[in-house]
Amino acid sequence: MTDAVLDNTPSLAKPSSDGSVFRFSTTEAMKHAVLIVGALIVLLPFYVMVSYSLKAPSEIMTQTGGFFGTQELFRDDFCIKLGNAAEDCMVRPIIYNYTTAFEKAPLLRYMLNGVIVTFSIFIIQVIVALPCAYALSKLRWWGRETVFALVLFCLLIPVHAIALPLYIMLSKVGLTNSYAALIIPWTISVFGIFLMRQFFMTVPDDLIDAARMDGMSEYSIIWNVMLPTAIPALLAFAIFSVVAHWNDYFWPRIVITGNRDLFTPPLGLREFKGDADGDNFGPMMATAVVIVTPLIVAFLIAQRRFIEGITLSGMK
Amino acid sequence: MSPSRAHIWFAGPAILLMFVILILPIFIAAGLSFTNYSLGNDGAQFVGFQNYERIFTRSTYEKMFIATFTYVGVVVPLTVGLGLGAALLINSVTRFGDIYKTIYFLPVMAALLAMAIVWEFALHPTIGIINATLTRGCGTFLENWSWYAQGCERTFPLWLTDRDYAIWTVSFIGVWQGFGFNMVLYLAGLTSIPRELYHAAEMDGAKSGWDRFRLVTWPMLGPTTVFVVTISCIRSFQVFDTVEAFYPQGGGPGKSVFVMMFAIYEKAIQQNLMGIGAAITVVFLGFVMMLTLIQRWLVERRVHYT
Repeated sequence: MTDAVLDNTPSLAKPSSDGSVFRFSTTEAMKHAVLIVGALIVLLPFYVMVSYSLKAPSEIMTQTGGFFGTQELFRDDFCIKLGNAAEDCMVRPIIYNYTTAFEKAPLLRYMLNGVIVTFSIFIIQVIVALPCAYALSKLRWWGRETVFALVLFCLLIPVHAIALPLYIMLSKVGLTNSYAALIIPWTISVFGIFLMRQFFMTVPDDLIDAARMDGMSEYSIIWNVMLPTAIPALLAFAIFSVVAHWNDYFWPRIVITGNRDLFTPPLGLREFKGDADGDNFGPMMATAVVIVTPLIVAFLIAQRRFIEGITLSGMK
Repeated sequence: MSPSRAHIWFAGPAILLMFVILILPIFIAAGLSFTNYSLGNDGAQFVGFQNYERIFTRSTYEKMFIATFTYVGVVVPLTVGLGLGAALLINSVTRFGDIYKTIYFLPVMAALLAMAIVWEFALHPTIGIINATLTRGCGTFLENWSWYAQGCERTFPLWLTDRDYAIWTVSFIGVWQGFGFNMVLYLAGLTSIPRELYHAAEMDGAKSGWDRFRLVTWPMLGPTTVFVVTISCIRSFQVFDTVEAFYPQGGGPGKSVFVMMFAIYEKAIQQNLMGIGAAITVVFLGFVMMLTLIQRWLVERRVHYT
C-alpha cells in the first residue's frame, strides 16, 4: 500500500508499485542487497545450530565438513569406556547427536513439562480472565470502573520484576520445586482481561439480551455465547501466552532448583550446557534444535496468526 | 445465580488474584527492602535505608546501573531504528517482502536461552565461526582497517570474555533478538496510513522520498513509535537469559554485564540476601512503571497528528 515511502525517485515508484511489470531498478536492487545482508546475520546462529547438530565432534573442532558434515562414522569414546569393542562403537554423527540429546538427559520429560506448564497456564488464564472481562464489559455493577482502573494499574507490573517477593511467598508456603510454582504467578493475566474486555465491548448487547430471553444463565452466556465470538482474539492470546511461557527461562530458573523431573526445556538445555565437554557440542546443539523447532515450525505454518498474537500487546 | 450477583463470581477470582499475585508482592518487596531478611532466618532486623544507601553508593551497584543503562541505551535505539528501517524497506520492495519479514521475525520466536548458547559457540575464540570467518579476511584489503590488521596480527577479540567487548556483544544479541518484533509493529503501523496523505503531500510539493517520510510517514507512525520505544525499554530492562547463559557467576568480566535482573537473581536467590534483592526490585519497578506512565501520558496527549 505504501510502496513508495522510501523511494528516492517518485517517477520510478509509481510503475513499480503495482508489482505486475518487472523492471530492473538500482534502488530496488540496493534495497534487496541490504535486506539480504540483514537476513544472513539474522540466520547465522540458526545455521550454526543446525549445522553443529549434524556434525561429528572433530568436524566441529576443526570447522570442516561444510553444513552437513561428511557423516563419516566416528568412534564413540563413552561407548568404549563401557567396555564395548571398538567396532561396535562406530556411530554416525547425526544419529549420535540426536540420540545422545534424548538419552543423556530426559529431554522428552522436559518437553512434556513444557507442554503441561504452558497449557495449564493458558487454560487457567482463560478461566480467570474471560468471566472477569465479561463482567467488566457487559454487566452493570457498583465498583466496575474501580476494578477496571485496577486492571489498568496492574498492566504496569511485569511479573518478572516482582519475581523475588513471589518466590519468597511461594517458599513460605512450601511450594517451590513444583508445577504449582511454575504456574501460579501466571494464572492472572491482566493483559488477557484487558484484551478480552476490549473485544467484548464490540459484541452487540442484543445478542446477550436474546440469550437471556432464552433463559440462559449468565454463566452459560459466557461459555456458550461470548467464548465462540471471541475465538480469533482468544487464538491470538493463546499464541502470545504459549510462546512467552515455552521460552521463559528466568522464572523456572528461580523456583526450580535441582529437581530435574520438573525442568522446562530451557532449564534442561542450560543443565546440559553446564556439563558439556568437547564431545557434547553436537548433542547440545541437537537439544537446542529440538527445543526451538516446535514454535518455529508452528510459526512458519501459521505466520499471520503468530505475528498477530505476538504483537497483540501493540493493540491499544 | 441471579444476574445482580453474577459479577461477584465473575470478577471476584480475578480481583483476588490481582491482589495476591501482583499488588501484595510490591508491598512485600517494599517492606523487605528496609530489612536484612534472608530465607530460613526469621530474625530479620529493620535496617532503615541501608540497602538503598548501598545500591546508590557501592561500586558493584554503580556497575550494575552502568551495565543496565548501557544495554538499554544501545538496544532500544538500535531495535527501534532497525525495526523501522526494515519495515520501510520491506514495505517498499515489490517482491519477496514476506520472506524477509518471516526471517527477521524468527529470533523473536526462538527461545532466547537456546540462541544465547548458540551465539556463545559462534563467538567462541577458537572454534567459533565468527572469528574463523574474520581470519579468512586477513591479507585482503580489509587489513587497511587498523582494528582488523591488529586482529590478524594477534587474535580477534574474545567477544564475550574481554571486558571491552562483553557488554557490546551482549547488546548486539539483544538487538538481533528484538528488532524483528518492532519491525512487525511498524509494518502494522505503515499499513494504516491512508494512501491519500502521500498524494496530498506530493501536491503540496513534497517531492523527495525523504520529504514524504518526514511529512507523512514519521508523524503518522507517532503512536506506534511511542509504544515501540516503551515496550523495547521494558523488555531490555528485563534482560536476563543471555547474561545468565554467558556468565552464570558474577555478571561478566569485571562485572561489566551485571544487569539488574541478574543482580536480583544473584543477590537474593544465589546469596540469600533478600533485603538487598528487594531494594533492587523496588528501584527496578520504579523505572519500569515510570516508563509506562510516560508512555500513557504521551498517548493521551495524542502524539499523532490526525
